[in-house]
Amino acid sequence: MTFLLVILLSAVSYAQQQITVTGTVTSKDDGQPLPGVAVSVKNTTQGVATDGSGKFSIRTAPGSTLVFKALGFTTQEVNVDGSPMHVVLISSQSNLNEVVVIGYGTVRKKDLTGAIANIKGADIKSQGVSDVTKALQGKLPGVTIESAGGNPGAGTRILIRGVGTLGDAAPLYIVDGVPVASINNLSQVDIQSVDVLKDASAAAIYGSRAANGVVLITTKSGKEGKPVVQVTANYGVQRIGHEVDVLNAQQWAKVSNAAHDAAGLARLDIARNPDSLGAGTDWQDAVYRTAPIQQYGLLVSGGSQYGNYSVSGSYTKQDGIVKTTGYDRYNLRVKSETTRGRFKFGETILLTREKTINMAGGWGGQGGNPVGSAAKMIPVFQIYDTSALGGFAGAYGPVVNVANPLAQLHLENIDKISSNILTNVYGEVTLIPGLTYKLNLGYTGNFITNDDYRKRYVVGTLFSHPTNDLTQSKEQTDLLLVENTLNYNKIVGKHSLQALAGYTYQKTKNTYLLAARTDLPDGIENIDAGAGTSTTNGNSYESGLVSVLGRVIYSYGDRYLLTASFRRDASSRFGSAYRHGSFPSIALGWNLSNEEFFAPLKQAITNLKIRASYGVLGNQQIGDYLYSAAIASNINYVIGADQHKWFGAIQTAFASPNIKWESTKTANVGLDAGFLGDKLSFTADYFIKTTEDVLLNVPIPGSAGSTSNPVVNAGRLRNNGVEFGLNYSDHVGELNYSFFGAFSKVNNKVLELGTGSQQIFGGQPTHHGASSTLTEAGGPITGFFLIRADGIFNSQEEIDAYKKDGTLIQPNAAPGDIKFFDANGDGQISDEDKVYAGSPFPSFEYGFGLNASFHNFDLNAYFQGTHGNKIYNGLRQDLESMSLEFNYSTETLNAWTPERHTNIPRAVTNDPNFNDRTSTRFLESGSYLRLKTLQIGYTVGDVIKNKFKISSLRAYISADNLFTITKYTGFNPDIGRTGSIFDRGVDFGHVAYPIARTLSVGLQLTL
Amino acid sequence: MKNIITFLVAVVLVVGCKKSTLELTNPNQLTSDTYWKTEADVQSAFAATYGLLRDVNGGFYGVRGIELGNGRGDDFFIRNDVAALYQLSTFTNTPDNGTANDLWNISYRAIFRANQIMENIDKVPDLSEDAKAAYISEAKFLRGLNYFILAINFGDVPIILKAAASTEDYFVAKSPEADVWTQVKQDFTDAAANLPVSYSSEWVGRATKGAAVAYLGKAQLYTKDWSGAATTLQSLTVAPFNYQLMTDYNDNFVVTKENNQESVFEIQLGDVGGTNPWAGENASQSIGVTTAQEFAPAEVAGWFEVSPTDKLFNEFQKEKTTGGELDPRMYATLIWDYPGATFYNKPFSSFKLLFGYSAMFKKYQNYTQDNELTGASGASDYTSSNNERALRYADVLLMIGEALTMQGKPADAYPFVQQIRTRAHLGPLATGLTQDQMMAEIRHQRMIEFARENQRFYDLKRWGLLKQEITNSDKVGKQFFVADKHDYFPVPQAEINANPKMEQNSHW
Repeated sequence: MTFLLVILLSAVSYAQQQITVTGTVTSKDDGQPLPGVAVSVKNTTQGVATDGSGKFSIRTAPGSTLVFKALGFTTQEVNVDGSPMHVVLISSQSNLNEVVVIGYGTVRKKDLTGAIANIKGADIKSQGVSDVTKALQGKLPGVTIESAGGNPGAGTRILIRGVGTLGDAAPLYIVDGVPVASINNLSQVDIQSVDVLKDASAAAIYGSRAANGVVLITTKSGKEGKPVVQVTANYGVQRIGHEVDVLNAQQWAKVSNAAHDAAGLARLDIARNPDSLGAGTDWQDAVYRTAPIQQYGLLVSGGSQYGNYSVSGSYTKQDGIVKTTGYDRYNLRVKSETTRGRFKFGETILLTREKTINMAGGWGGQGGNPVGSAAKMIPVFQIYDTSALGGFAGAYGPVVNVANPLAQLHLENIDKISSNILTNVYGEVTLIPGLTYKLNLGYTGNFITNDDYRKRYVVGTLFSHPTNDLTQSKEQTDLLLVENTLNYNKIVGKHSLQALAGYTYQKTKNTYLLAARTDLPDGIENIDAGAGTSTTNGNSYESGLVSVLGRVIYSYGDRYLLTASFRRDASSRFGSAYRHGSFPSIALGWNLSNEEFFAPLKQAITNLKIRASYGVLGNQQIGDYLYSAAIASNINYVIGADQHKWFGAIQTAFASPNIKWESTKTANVGLDAGFLGDKLSFTADYFIKTTEDVLLNVPIPGSAGSTSNPVVNAGRLRNNGVEFGLNYSDHVGELNYSFFGAFSKVNNKVLELGTGSQQIFGGQPTHHGASSTLTEAGGPITGFFLIRADGIFNSQEEIDAYKKDGTLIQPNAAPGDIKFFDANGDGQISDEDKVYAGSPFPSFEYGFGLNASFHNFDLNAYFQGTHGNKIYNGLRQDLESMSLEFNYSTETLNAWTPERHTNIPRAVTNDPNFNDRTSTRFLESGSYLRLKTLQIGYTVGDVIKNKFKISSLRAYISADNLFTITKYTGFNPDIGRTGSIFDRGVDFGHVAYPIARTLSVGLQLTL
Repeated sequence: MKNIITFLVAVVLVVGCKKSTLELTNPNQLTSDTYWKTEADVQSAFAATYGLLRDVNGGFYGVRGIELGNGRGDDFFIRNDVAALYQLSTFTNTPDNGTANDLWNISYRAIFRANQIMENIDKVPDLSEDAKAAYISEAKFLRGLNYFILAINFGDVPIILKAAASTEDYFVAKSPEADVWTQVKQDFTDAAANLPVSYSSEWVGRATKGAAVAYLGKAQLYTKDWSGAATTLQSLTVAPFNYQLMTDYNDNFVVTKENNQESVFEIQLGDVGGTNPWAGENASQSIGVTTAQEFAPAEVAGWFEVSPTDKLFNEFQKEKTTGGELDPRMYATLIWDYPGATFYNKPFSSFKLLFGYSAMFKKYQNYTQDNELTGASGASDYTSSNNERALRYADVLLMIGEALTMQGKPADAYPFVQQIRTRAHLGPLATGLTQDQMMAEIRHQRMIEFARENQRFYDLKRWGLLKQEITNSDKVGKQFFVADKHDYFPVPQAEINANPKMEQNSHW
């Protein structure tokens, strides 16, 4: 009793010197509360653990130090000052125990020998975009991410280490082990990490498809412990960032009249009385709108020692800034893993459904899509005409057939619904300790429905469509994947070995069906009701890939590292003699910082590793069945007294029976370093990538008579470059901050191409304009080759003085016309005078940003840009032409006149001097710096959390694409033109969709 | 453990035995190895070769071909809408002109296909020697016709008589124009040898012996082999041939009178295929032409791309009929403001002339319809089924007249020229015309007889009158015409870029 009393008293007396300290521990990675963190008073045995909400309460003396320890996190010490504590633990994954996903497995970062860029889902901060890859732009060194157009849901185009091929340069995308065609349909809430395999060592395990790099997406898994429920919501508004400046009605009429007068041609009727026209219709204002974007996500995850699960769902809805366009998406994902004895089973199931409402095309006119038409439509014309079929007015008279963009948007409905299933099921068994066998079965199904309903209309005098027509197509792509792998892990003393052997089989089948009928009754959008002509098309394609693969990762004493891998693929896309390809790689690494001699430096340089690798990768991105000469059917003609259809069929193109794998040899050296206790980390890589036997549709002479160019192994390319990544994290008192930056520079060169003197032209900039790019041996891939514009002839004397051997070089020129440079000195201006004028590839590209938090507030800012690239502004070529009868740029108000000498040529409708020809006049700097994301967040304090019994709640406001610093005058320097590599950097007005500036607010709640 | 290994082995075996899965054959298409098995295969190959003549981009009788073939003439105006057409019609075209490029490519595609037929026909079993000879003749006709088109438009071009068998064969240097003409004449001579005089009604529209003879004569005329031309062409005026002028000139340009007695070779058009003129070579492609839609006036939703010049308008009025009327060919060719003039079921007053010229083209327009938007199928595909008469007997008669006149025998030309005049209700030609006078008459007659029929520019070229007649006209862009240079198109830039053996034409 006395004893008890003594204890009690001493406890009370002890307590009298102490206070109760409460607080919360969260993870820096995802901001989530951390349960089970050991909180102890330094130099005592006293300690507690955080509860399921990451909360703790401990009694200690003021001025003492608390120590926070948790597995997988860096231990932290914090002085007690009596106020509630917010402790953020930094994952030790940002140290070297971090596991990096590589093909068919993972590897500790410290054992890594290849060049891999990676990002955690939690670091993807941008919320105002529907597409997760846009948020990665500029964050991964060596990974170029470009918008694939501003259309809602349009996604991005990813290039890894430049363009290593002349065909499809897209990387291989793998989601939870299954190859997919695109990752644009993924939701941010699903993503645990994105790992990009850049060099041959990292990617060679994917052999024949890895030459353009590999992007591995790992979706979230549950963790052992209490279930976690996360809710995210985001709502934003988007507005057009930048319209093009075009004339109003009165201004247009004046320019048009001046141009006709100069050509000696009659003025247009509609331009007769400029002053009576006023401003007219602002077509761009009519087409664009402020559009909402909203995203909601829910994630539930948890686990025990026997397994874990993670289930998430999300909904995204994005209206386009161009009226009627839009995108929405539903995602549902289930992932779990169960361990039982020596067996392990798991699966990922990912279901997505996307609906995209697209813009109409050009309607056969020359305005292109509604964005292009809105810029070019003459402001004299009206938008609506209630008496017209369809209700829209349009262009009339002898003008270029540009469609009323609003009519295009409202009279043609183009929907695409894409449903995706991704399933991956695996079973793993441990045969003997360290040796596991895994059977992985993957399936992806992609079901696309396209509907195009075109109403009947009369729009002005140039566009009419007398019947309601419907075209529907369905496309299904199935991929089946079977992978057998054996994994062996063994650590003996200082030797660590990780070995992999595998056998895989993959089959892809695509089937397509199209049905169309004309003359549907008004209001009915089903084919059965159509009275007119029916069209049906259908086809299917199949391809297969059988592979064996192996890899050894060996390290000695955490100092000497070796990775060797090998893959041998056989592809159905090549003829039997050329079917097999072998893709070996080897890489070495040295962790200098683990050497004893390094110890004195360890204080300053926490870790230092150098890496080198070499390997061969392949590319088989060509069509199926190219090795046989196909007979094309339905090349029909009319015949007979009754004029019936005569079915036609013949070989129309040449086969490519002797093509083989494209192979890319990559050598890489790299360095990873951490300074000052890993506060500062730095990665650098240098690589040389040589692509041989490039698969390419090489243009053959038209005289050969083929309808298309055969695929051949056509050349050799070289890319070399450097990449840097930098991160600095520290805190000043309660201000935590980190800076990060990424930089990459790639040079490319064509070493050999086609026939040797082969020239491949591309980059048609306007409806009728001449090509602007050229690819040939010795030059860059897709260089701009243009006739050089050398300013304006200000007088007849200058024209007369510009001659060769007494003959005028530009005989059709008049004062105010452009002087072109006769580069080949033959006395005339022709395509032969094209000179190299720049590259669409930047000299370097970069991204940098800041994350900071102070008390409950956090700030994230992120910039991204390119430098040194050129853009050919095709839309400007049209808008400054003054030769075609559509609207013009406001620059034309400043056209040259004898009284006013400017750098805009004179207005003249027939343009006898070709001022408007494809030339350097329309080549602009494409460099830009964009504030991609600015986000300010607030995390609520304990009072609210306790009241509502939640673990964490963060609210934020975010701005995307807030400003862009650029000299480029088009819609967006990140022009996002997809398609042929030879069109790179060419801003073609017909397919543009301007970028939106987005302001959004959001909530992130964890129960 | 044992079970696991058994399972493992089983899986590997099951999956591993799938080597055959890599031996895939194209499920959509036959291959050249499996084709050429039946006569129907041969016939289908012909359909695919004939069809290129009306190809929407580059067929000489498709819409762009008609615009390109006529657009440089002194009788023709093309508005500033399609830049490539405006440029070629105003002589500001460059070697990258898309339309000229397409004409080149399409002609060579037809040659590639014709060559395939000749090379593969022996593979077809059970084909009689006569049938085989006729098919080879037909293929040669098509090849000859395409070389004819290339020769008049480009001059020196590569002569390719075999389908490329290897990569090296893709690259062929060009031959002098004279050699191309030799090939043209050889092909037409061979074609004439074994082609039938006529076909059963099922096959009406294919090349006949008469067509081959007429084109041979035309090629001789173009190469100034006057006596050869006269002999060749005069054979068409006697048995076994039975060509006659249609009584009504206008019957040559309406859909109800196709493949008539005046038609020597005709491009078959019908809205009996797909509904998209621009679909490319597949089932969706409509197999008529969009020419009528492109030429129709704005008031009927046409695209008013072209106009006759007033030089043509005036040329028609130089001689009245015996009844004191305007030439009936003027009414068939043009529509202008005359009493009772209607077009597309509307009075002429509903239309506005947009370019300062006095008339619009009526020839080949389907002006009894309300517009050109829907073809015969009812689909809104802008498709005209009105066959393009590529070579009419009227041409044969005027060529005979010319070939005789140029031999210094203008008196012999009278009966042939007079047939043309009589059909047009013109009186007897004054007797005793000199060679020059008769040629002047023939030139006048050709200008008005064949307006919009891809003849005028090429006639002026072979007469050496391009500079004079273009200068002496109200054609837009005439000041940019450079003699010799603009007689031909330049070799397409794309061809030069892709073919190391190719050289640009002189003057370009």
